[in-house]
Amino acid sequence: MTTRAEFFEGIRREMAKTRGLFPAGTATRPAHPHEVVETIRREMAERWPQALERFRREFERVGGVLHRVATASDVPGVLGRIARERNAQRLVAWHPGALGVDWSAALAREGIAVASMPDGAVMDDAEHQRLRGLTAEADLGLTGVDLALAETGTLVLRSGPGRPRSTSLLPPYHVAVFDRGALVESLQQVGVFLEAWNTRDDGFGGVVNFITGPSRTADIELTLTRGVHGPKEVHAIFVETPFREGAAPPSLPNAQQTDG
Amino acid sequence: MSESPPAPSASPVGFDLATPFRQRAGRALNDTFLQQALTIATTKFIGLRGEAFGEFPEGEALRDRAREIKEATLQRLDHYLGLLVDNVEARGGHVHFASTAAEARAIVLDIGGRTGARLAVKSKSMATEEIELNEALLHAGITPVETDLGEYIIQMAGEKPSHIIAPAIHKTKGQVADLFARELKREVAADPEVLTRIARAELREKFLRADLGVTGANFGVAETGTLVLVTNEGNGRMVTSLPRVHVALMGVEKVVPSMTDLVVFLALLARSATGQKLSAYTTLVQGPRRPGELEGPDELHLVLLDNGRIRQVGGPLRESLYCLRCGACLNVCPVYRQIGGHAYGHTYPGPIGILATAMLNGPGAVKDLAHASSLCGACQAACPVRIDIPRMLIELRRQVDDAKIAPWRERMVFGLFGGLLRRPALYRLSARLGRWLQRPFVHGGRIRGLPLLFGEWTRTRDLPPIASRTFAERWRDLAREVGS
Repeated sequence: MTTRAEFFEGIRREMAKTRGLFPAGTATRPAHPHEVVETIRREMAERWPQALERFRREFERVGGVLHRVATASDVPGVLGRIARERNAQRLVAWHPGALGVDWSAALAREGIAVASMPDGAVMDDAEHQRLRGLTAEADLGLTGVDLALAETGTLVLRSGPGRPRSTSLLPPYHVAVFDRGALVESLQQVGVFLEAWNTRDDGFGGVVNFITGPSRTADIELTLTRGVHGPKEVHAIFVETPFREGAAPPSLPNAQQTDG
Repeated sequence: MSESPPAPSASPVGFDLATPFRQRAGRALNDTFLQQALTIATTKFIGLRGEAFGEFPEGEALRDRAREIKEATLQRLDHYLGLLVDNVEARGGHVHFASTAAEARAIVLDIGGRTGARLAVKSKSMATEEIELNEALLHAGITPVETDLGEYIIQMAGEKPSHIIAPAIHKTKGQVADLFARELKREVAADPEVLTRIARAELREKFLRADLGVTGANFGVAETGTLVLVTNEGNGRMVTSLPRVHVALMGVEKVVPSMTDLVVFLALLARSATGQKLSAYTTLVQGPRRPGELEGPDELHLVLLDNGRIRQVGGPLRESLYCLRCGACLNVCPVYRQIGGHAYGHTYPGPIGILATAMLNGPGAVKDLAHASSLCGACQAACPVRIDIPRMLIELRRQVDDAKIAPWRERMVFGLFGGLLRRPALYRLSARLGRWLQRPFVHGGRIRGLPLLFGEWTRTRDLPPIASRTFAERWRDLAREVGS
């Protein structure tokens, strides 16, 4: 087997043969991404209505459905309507800590059976299988949103404790709830957030997913078909009154393994 | 457990290198459905790409930026690749180094064997096609299941992908329905919606049961040790979330320095491939499952693949290492549009595929393919990182010639022509001689149906006749007039 040393020796040998095609540099990274993040947040505190409008346009273009409500307490009503129209009952959700609000009781009143995911790892194999089964059988997956990118109509979600990867993937209907704090305008700004998240030890989560509309394929005669593996519908609920400040980021010191 | 993969059909229509390229191309040209499918697909992709860049004015400058980042990364490849390795390991991943396809296969099989894997789900990866991983897995008792719908279809048919991003564009919905019917032993409607629903159910069960997830990687971010997968179907997310082991196979050229560099490529990749601003899913994977996470693999392995790439860091095909595998050059290539992917006979079709084939298998492998291009430059114009594909194709033709791989008659004719061009007196004489000799073959203002050696050339082409006054002759006359 090739060792790291041998592999890199081969690369350096080849590099010595050439000076490259032309003088070139990489993209300039922000030296202090957290400061840039703060600047973006300040700008967006004023510009969010335009960003939201652009987000709506792009999100609808890729097949998403945007709902707009006044306060967080209006969210269960929207979910109830979505569920009834689709004859859906079973919902899996991120942990209330990761969502920022506990909607379980209100959702139950809407006739929805809610399973909230734990805010940590599950060591017991049977319990792990049970949770996976619940997610695989669920009709609706409810998540928060870390960034809502206006330029492309994209939802950016970090995985972590209380934020399972599969909540936005296995159920046929994904519903994501956000407020103005998540809105950004450009992919380039998302790049700044990615840089900033990486400077903190656990700011990133295990995976970051950019979700731009429902799961899609055109592999059979170029006919666009939705929901091939992931959700066939993606809904985003925008809440006018900010509520997400309290939501836990991907990793909190106390969000450790639970359920032994 | 007796697991059976989708059974390949009795007569695979995959790569057939025993048949010469001309015959493979000829077969494709006579395939009416293929011709129609290719025209529809490539025309649609060209249109979507055009629209996407049309409403993205900053795209042109971004392409220059992307090209520069690729070159800058290659100029310090050891540094950035080293950084990637360190950071993947720092996040709890394991990194392996494969100089050859055989070594890469052995590494994956070793991981599969050690973890007791029986069922592997794969998201679309050209690199695993390149090392023919499926055959090796099957042989080792691990059932590989392709989960990209297009790949699933061609795996069932026992074929190879015919387009980098649309592997099954050569298949009709009727053919797909027949494949599904044979596999499931029941009637299946020839409706893309129905077929997709069936695939969802079949593959969902596999995702939930598989113990090994195999992917490629569109990018590897050095500064953060992040592997990036871009898919539309979401299978990349399934494969990296559900099985307990994730193996990613990545060519060394896929490394990018930072997240800031990454977003430059993300802005270009989907627009170039399918005309989307972003594909439905971009998944950034950072190590195995984190403490406190409910899901994600216990183990993450990155296999860095050389297989002829590193040789080109200092070689004539260096620039082809910029490639993002978007497929844009296939859609615009007048040759690909006529013959499709299978006629090329190798994993990577189209203009960039010729270069990739030469890179992986040496120039001898492309003695015919190096000429399967009109050098029109459409590929370079469509390439998100502006790879000068025509320049390298010409270089390959030179190499093929140096290696005396071209037929002796062709080399003789070009040798004579070269000699003529080096001797002005002889050249002038040949023009006069040629004017006289060409007379019997000029029909309707074109030279047609030349005899002997030249017959093969003029069988499918005509030539302009030698002018009654050549440029040199007119120049001489003109100089005389002006002088007098």
